[in-house]
Amino acid sequence: MGLSLSVRGLHSFYGRAHILADVSLEAAAGEVVALLGRNGAGKSTTLKSIIGIVRPAQGAVELDGARISGEPPHRICRRGLGYVPEERRVFASLTVNGNLEVGRQPPRPGLTPWTPARLFELFPNLAGMGDRTAGQMSGGEQQMLTIARTLMGNPALVLLDEPSEGLAPVIVEQMVRAIRALKKEGLAIVLSEQNVNFAMKVADRAYIIEKGRIRHQCTIDELMADEAMRRTYLTV
Amino acid sequence: MGGDLGFYLVQALTGLSSASALFLVASGLSIIFGVTRVVNFAHGSFYMLGAYIAYTLIGHLGGALGFWVAVLLAGVAVGIIGVVVELLILRRVYQAPELFQLVATFGVILVIQDLALLVWGAEDLFGPAAPGLEGTVNLLGTRLPEYDLALIALSLFVLGALWLLFQRTRWGTLVRAATEDREMVGALGVNQAWLFTGAFFLGSMLAGLGGAAQLPKGGADLLMDFNILAAVFVVVVVGGMGSIAGAFLAAVLISELGAFGILLIPQSTLVLMFAVMAVVLIFRPWGLLGRPEAPGQHGQAGPPEPPLRPPPPRLRAAGLLLLAALLALPAFADDFTLVLAVEIAIMALFAASLHFAMGPGGMVSFGHAAFFGGGAYAAALLVKYAGSPMEVALLFAPAMAGVLALVFGWFCVRLTGVYLAMLTLAFAQVGWSIVFQWGEVTGGDDGILGIWPSEWASDRLAFYYLSVLASAGGILALQYVLHSPFGYAMRACRDSVVRSASIGIDVQRQQWLAFAFSGALAGLAGGLFVFSKGSVFPDEMSIPRSFDALIMVLLGGVKTLLGPIAGAVTFTWLQDEISRLEYWRLILGALIIAIVVAFPQGVAGFLRARAGPWFGIREMEA
Repeated sequence: MGLSLSVRGLHSFYGRAHILADVSLEAAAGEVVALLGRNGAGKSTTLKSIIGIVRPAQGAVELDGARISGEPPHRICRRGLGYVPEERRVFASLTVNGNLEVGRQPPRPGLTPWTPARLFELFPNLAGMGDRTAGQMSGGEQQMLTIARTLMGNPALVLLDEPSEGLAPVIVEQMVRAIRALKKEGLAIVLSEQNVNFAMKVADRAYIIEKGRIRHQCTIDELMADEAMRRTYLTV
Repeated sequence: MGGDLGFYLVQALTGLSSASALFLVASGLSIIFGVTRVVNFAHGSFYMLGAYIAYTLIGHLGGALGFWVAVLLAGVAVGIIGVVVELLILRRVYQAPELFQLVATFGVILVIQDLALLVWGAEDLFGPAAPGLEGTVNLLGTRLPEYDLALIALSLFVLGALWLLFQRTRWGTLVRAATEDREMVGALGVNQAWLFTGAFFLGSMLAGLGGAAQLPKGGADLLMDFNILAAVFVVVVVGGMGSIAGAFLAAVLISELGAFGILLIPQSTLVLMFAVMAVVLIFRPWGLLGRPEAPGQHGQAGPPEPPLRPPPPRLRAAGLLLLAALLALPAFADDFTLVLAVEIAIMALFAASLHFAMGPGGMVSFGHAAFFGGGAYAAALLVKYAGSPMEVALLFAPAMAGVLALVFGWFCVRLTGVYLAMLTLAFAQVGWSIVFQWGEVTGGDDGILGIWPSEWASDRLAFYYLSVLASAGGILALQYVLHSPFGYAMRACRDSVVRSASIGIDVQRQQWLAFAFSGALAGLAGGLFVFSKGSVFPDEMSIPRSFDALIMVLLGGVKTLLGPIAGAVTFTWLQDEISRLEYWRLILGALIIAIVVAFPQGVAGFLRARAGPWFGIREMEA
């Protein structure tokens, strides 16, 4: 089954720049949580601090009650946390199958293990492209490949950094379907988004982040009802 | 006609066989660099160790099977040595700036040199013939040693095995992925530490194998390490860093050029090699099969450089005080101390000139001794052949070094980061080969003797003042230019090529001139050096001399203007103390490694953090 994530009082720095100040959020198993905010609000840094790429200066990240903050990213990943980066970051010179192989980790008890075949079902666009070089694929295909690559690690909780960024509307629809399918598998998902409409289609709850602080948290239904709040924190 | 054809065929095959060692070592260097981003300077030393270890093992094993088992075991043994180096030293400094890792590997070179001397002695060892392959084969009337064919087969076999490893195994896939994006590989659950160690094992093993396999042809000697290093850097620059196939192609190309070039014009191999390099770099700056590196990825990794400010008043006062103390020094010090002080002053100028290029200029030079030695030889040759006085020679030295830097720099500024650095080393090694081999003019290994200062400066005290004032003047000139519009433009080019170009700076020209200026001042240091010693030897152009400056700058800290001076004082004094001991390289190497591990920010960086605030130095926002 999925894992629950608890982030408490996270502070992160780039050099001396204070990027995150006292960020706390929760995600339960089977829940899709959106982290919403404008460019530069601290969304990506929050996800990077959870996976351990950015080492938080203060605060705790717990996975099912076990503290993971301070561990190196590969350990955190092996505990069941999958991370899908912004801007794709596929291994451009490797084939699709090669990319998937890099992500492969042992099966996790209680979850159906991911195989390339299952992933091609989830992302039909990738089917039949196993031997294609990742660098030659379209942006949408690369975005799907990064998610598929992370899923090969059989994560119980997935961090998705701006999954809809720069994608054509048709591809965004496929992304919505894929995220719903993952939720059905019992995975917890934390996604960062600028695109409120995308988040409203997939998320159960939302946190709103601005200047490195969580300003508000609510259910997605509340957010849909509150146009004033969307305007204050989210619209450009 | 058949005889001719056979001759050319054999010549081609000879070229291929001499490509095998180059290919093995270069591919190993490439693999290590791809994964760990460390340019392993000790790679030449691993090659040398491979030859020595194989020599000993062949002596014990004997027989045809024994020979090949010994070659293989030597490779494995060197692979294990590489792992030890990675685990004990490099793993501790991966977080430090990239260049510190280079300094650490240079420490390893020194340690291995003395250990090899200790174990195998100073005599060159002749390699035993490979049993069963002592003969020659007749190809269309020309004879080719059988062992040459074995070497060709070996390199093709290794090329195939590496291809399978990287294309067909999980480990190879992970290595290729890590070469592209290490951080992402870690976030996908792969423990990078073991990937690094694995890459070090494989890369070092290939170097050891290369050294072991060439034993029957070239034997084993203590100069092998630096001799192959420059050639391997050329191969990697031409072939493209991180590309195994590129390394193979470039090794073959350069070896074939060597094999045929020698027929056209004897002694032309160096010229041909550089003609090829020039053509490749103009049309494919990232090498035949390489990929462009992201700007600013290497050599200047990490957060952006803090802006340089003119020194704050207290620091300026401290600098003046230091100069005053130096001027007053003869009143207290004995002759011996004055001689050391002269050397420190000259080295401080040399280090400051390198710092100018690599710190604010963003062009790391691994071959700055080319200009130091170039200036030294220019001065010495002028005195020897034209009988000119010291004053003229001291002007001639920086001028000629500047011209030399213009020539080398024309190629170098076409590259960035680690490619640029490797190219400077290769150029410096060419300079070294020329003065070393062109005995009629340069005196070769015997150097040029009897180059003494003019009458008025021949007194120890007068020469002390001359060199301190000239060095201080040179350092101040560097400082002045750094804070002039030229210096601002240079730093702009380092920080952003695109933005600099878009405001109308000709980036390559700016860097070219900066490189030449830095070279000219290194030449001034070299000129002073000749007159302080009365002689000049090829050593002044050698790789270790380049590394002296590099270590001074890095120990001092690249980001501080006082760094190179602090580094020069520390290092020159240290070297002076240690070099009187037997096996001083071993001690110096171990010390360098210890310092890098203990002070990853450099000695001055460390002091700056402690004492900086008092001098009014603020840590800048990163």
